[in-house]
Amino acid sequence: MNQFVLYQKNALELRLFPHITEVGAVKNSAIRLDGFPCTTADTLKIYYIQDGKFEWIINKRNYTLYPGDVAIIMPGIEFGNENNVLEIGSFYWVHLQMVKAEKWHEACPWSSLSETEIESIRKTLQMNQSPVFKKFQEIGVILKSIQSELTSQEIAYHTRVNHLLDEIFIQSARQFNSLSDTGRNFPGTFMKLEQALRQNLAHQWTVDEMATFTGLCTTLFNERVKNYSGFSPLSYLINIRITEAIKLLKQPNVSLTNIALDVGFYSSQHFSTTFKKLTGYTPSQYRKNYLQKNN
Amino acid sequence: MECIITIELGTNAVRVYAFDLKGNTIGSLKGYCPTFHSEPNYSEQDPDQIFITMLYVLKNLLNDFVHPQKYKVSTICFSSSMHSLLAVDKRGNPMGKAITWADSRADKEAAALNGSALGKKIYHATGTPLHPMSPLTKIAWMKNNENEKFKQVSKFLSLKSYILQQLTGEYMIDYSIASATGLLNIHKIKWNTDSLKFAGITAGMLPELVPVFSNAGKLNKAYQTSLGLSAHTQIVVGSSDGCMATLGDGINGEGTATITVEDSGAVRVMSDKVLHDEKQRFFNYLLTEKRYISGGPTNNGGVVFEWFTRQFGDFKNLFDIEYSMQELINEAANVPPGSDGLIFLPYLLGERAPIWNANARGVFFGLNIKHDKAHFVRAAIEGILYEIYSIGKTLAQHRKIDSLSINGSFGTLPFFAQMVADIYNKPVRLRQNYHSVSYGSYLLSATKMGIYKSLDEAAKSVELTDLVTPDKKNNKSYNAYFKIFERLSTKLANEFADIAALQRQ
Repeated sequence: MNQFVLYQKNALELRLFPHITEVGAVKNSAIRLDGFPCTTADTLKIYYIQDGKFEWIINKRNYTLYPGDVAIIMPGIEFGNENNVLEIGSFYWVHLQMVKAEKWHEACPWSSLSETEIESIRKTLQMNQSPVFKKFQEIGVILKSIQSELTSQEIAYHTRVNHLLDEIFIQSARQFNSLSDTGRNFPGTFMKLEQALRQNLAHQWTVDEMATFTGLCTTLFNERVKNYSGFSPLSYLINIRITEAIKLLKQPNVSLTNIALDVGFYSSQHFSTTFKKLTGYTPSQYRKNYLQKNN
Repeated sequence: MECIITIELGTNAVRVYAFDLKGNTIGSLKGYCPTFHSEPNYSEQDPDQIFITMLYVLKNLLNDFVHPQKYKVSTICFSSSMHSLLAVDKRGNPMGKAITWADSRADKEAAALNGSALGKKIYHATGTPLHPMSPLTKIAWMKNNENEKFKQVSKFLSLKSYILQQLTGEYMIDYSIASATGLLNIHKIKWNTDSLKFAGITAGMLPELVPVFSNAGKLNKAYQTSLGLSAHTQIVVGSSDGCMATLGDGINGEGTATITVEDSGAVRVMSDKVLHDEKQRFFNYLLTEKRYISGGPTNNGGVVFEWFTRQFGDFKNLFDIEYSMQELINEAANVPPGSDGLIFLPYLLGERAPIWNANARGVFFGLNIKHDKAHFVRAAIEGILYEIYSIGKTLAQHRKIDSLSINGSFGTLPFFAQMVADIYNKPVRLRQNYHSVSYGSYLLSATKMGIYKSLDEAAKSVELTDLVTPDKKNNKSYNAYFKIFERLSTKLANEFADIAALQRQ
């Protein structure tokens, strides 16, 4: 492998890529003391081990990385070697600038991914309890390509490098989903989504937002929800809204407008038509019936 | 043209079917309803959500299939899962959520009855095994643990009773559901005094007891309008999912057993006599005054294979568990019957019949260096079906079983059906893409409408088209391993108790 390191502050190769704070490949043939300190930064760091064995601390936990392993260190997370030692072996890495931990898309004007897609990827990676992926050679291939693009600077290398960074995002999120319970357990994931909907029923949920929760694209999300629940995502949401409204209608001191807004209808008119379509009663008739019957 | 609609209130979903009078499916839809676990041993459903889901799905079915083809709905027949309990106050308001069959909060109440003289008396009178699933023990739990709430309760309902009351205003419970509460004397068809006393309630706190053919009253005007149904649509109380699956598979007397493998599983037989088991291992539920459905339930059906797939499946497509399960089954098919001596006890969720041991846990036994992943897959499926066989074999001590039918989403998978035939060494009948519970409800409605003279005649009309014949050679392998499986299932009782205690810490 060809060793190289580029830093944003002095590398001309990175002038078109203000978002790459650091990119490099290192081959270390003897232990270097004072070579790999623990630091915290606002960057997203991706490391791929080519050779050797590395003992690193990520977020106060010890990890041992072997060839083929990938470490993804989220912004603001402490990372390095406990004794500031750089061990024998070789690895590739890239650091990407992230302005705010919560708003990746603002830090990624270079990306061709949509705002929702970046948001899905961020949530997926954040859900990941373990920052180390075993045997994830795909990332090594991408990092090597980035290196050769930056050194040879052939036609359209600007676009190509950014595409490769997107590819890292996509591959990592997919890898996580296929390994984790989230990608295997639809009932469990759907239950978590249902809880989130109930906790914030007044919110005007969109299908995109709901899909983000599961790590699926909107089309596939629609299909899986329909298949599993029998309802489209929005119909399922209306189902919960009406169910909660029924409970509130039995309490005589809550106004109909408040019920409508609390359970997520945008007006009492919208509430009334939807409720009547399903139950045959308007909300006020339903309440009157209930109170009459029980007095 | 007239049609019949059947509504199944299941633990995972509400399923609605429309049938023409000959029993052909016009259309079907389902709607998912979540089960909530606010405590690890709790399992609850929201009665209002089930009601709204039921309305929603019914309305969609009517609009998609029934109204456009100008069908007139003559009957709507209900079935539901057994053992649910919902307390309501004097206004008919649910006091919290409904407790499902899978809830085990009442394990102490069940243990107190088990082994006691009173328990034995109650079991033989009611036909319901003494288990936390039984509403009898759930009510006693509430009396012992939530006494303030218990005192405010006006009625104890089943989920189906609540849904019917919302539609028609009447509180009713059918013989089938009532016979699974532990509160009904199945010989006299009256509420059982010993049970009421143990639960601390009066008969007046239970819904009106009616036969499965009964009308539940008239559909409320508002629902007639919103659903587009006439005032003459008959709302039939119907039965339980277990009884309907048995009827739907055409079981009409002794000689045949029916096997269900859904998430959980069961083996059932039908007779005009109660099955009397000294060891109290089987249920006896009522279909009608003269028809008993007897058998045993297992906790560990398809849910165990689903768990296995989530851990070891190759999820090439996100969330596509069907595909991953099929891949695993293909792998398992390459391993010889008996998995070269790897045996799996499937007790991931404790077990009901036939060992009735809540502490039982999963075990792989006989592992050697030549076994690989495919052996584990095959052994997992074999273990689930050995357990099903274990129930059937114990049932066969009381009833002659010449042939079998199988239903349920896992049971009807060809690999599963063939394995059942081989393990039992008996022919197995089934029909692909066929929903036994809903078809049973159709037969019940059609009999009420006079299309069939009796349930017997209705059951006889059922033709299960697919026949799976047993392979004698495979049976021999299974038989040898099953003997070890059966011994292991009881041999480890002490170790099961110890490990369960440690896991609870």
